[in-house]
Amino acid sequence: MIVAEQKPIVEIKEMVAPYRRLLVLGCGTCVKTCFAGGEDEVATLVSALRLAFKVDGIDIEAEGLTVERQCEDEFILEAAEGIARNDAVLSLACGAGVQAIARRFYQTPVLPGVNTTFIGVLEKQGLFTEECLGCGNCELAIFNGICPIARCSKKLLNGPCGGSRDGKCEIDPETDCAWQLIYERSKALGKLDSLKTYRPARSWQASSAGGPRRLVREDHII
Amino acid sequence: MPKLTLFYCINGIAGVSDLAVDIADVRTVKLPCSSMIKDFILLRAFEAGSDAVIVLTCPEGQCQHADGNIRARKRVERLKMMLDSIGLDGRRLMLFNTLPEGDGITEIVKQALSELEDLGPNPLVTPGHNSARLIQGASR
Repeated sequence: MIVAEQKPIVEIKEMVAPYRRLLVLGCGTCVKTCFAGGEDEVATLVSALRLAFKVDGIDIEAEGLTVERQCEDEFILEAAEGIARNDAVLSLACGAGVQAIARRFYQTPVLPGVNTTFIGVLEKQGLFTEECLGCGNCELAIFNGICPIARCSKKLLNGPCGGSRDGKCEIDPETDCAWQLIYERSKALGKLDSLKTYRPARSWQASSAGGPRRLVREDHII
Repeated sequence: MPKLTLFYCINGIAGVSDLAVDIADVRTVKLPCSSMIKDFILLRAFEAGSDAVIVLTCPEGQCQHADGNIRARKRVERLKMMLDSIGLDGRRLMLFNTLPEGDGITEIVKQALSELEDLGPNPLVTPGHNSARLIQGASR
């Protein structure tokens, strides 16, 4: 899922200050799971913003709505009425959701309420870790299910750097050494030989280095 | 008279429903577990005009739902920081997980009122504020 973190309330307040009628628009998929932009966070932010402005003697009208996904027109349409009766939208979706709303409601200011951070997993309750960079050319089969591009601080493709200590990364002792994990899992699978294959310098054209990416599924285009 | 909203876990705290204090206007809200408290509900209590909001949990380690009171404490701690950020003062949000000796709940109300002597009334309160309507609205 896409992991995001809500912006500080002070930053949000400053961003929405020009508007008196505000729709706080949540997204019920990724950002809900990481406690950044689901129904509860929308309700909290609506109330917090009303209070924050009231402290300054300003009454704002803020309402909340959460749609299933802000990155799909089918769900975006559910927000049309709420968007129409407000001056601006504070979107708690990832950057893709914010832009999808902005694209469909061209005359309405759409502001980001969260910082989109990474593609990750819920490692345990309350802890989200980055697992994928969306590089566009997945090689997890070679690395036996652990991605050194996303999880090795140095993005090394041909073995560890030598700075690993007790299975932890020298950059951050809270972070597992990806190559330690790759080695252990490869050993458990009986596939250590797969790590002997030299990985040549990688082309990053399929990643964001090649410019904005598109995915076309011709069979779904009518 | 100061207005307080008091959320409490029915499993951990007895006698709140019989609460009768003549030193404050106390509104009580039952919870099946203190972990049921949510940020926006606490904020709505302030919007409804509460000078202080109190969360009463059972003592840590004694929650019958394992760790509900710890969750409640962490939420309250986080929300106190948000209240500071928006200028409402996080000290208005209080959490107690044990009843003081003596008058119990009444003693907690007294402690809250003592804190309010420094803080003063809720700066957001406007005449004619309908607290009941806003609290109901918290259920969305």
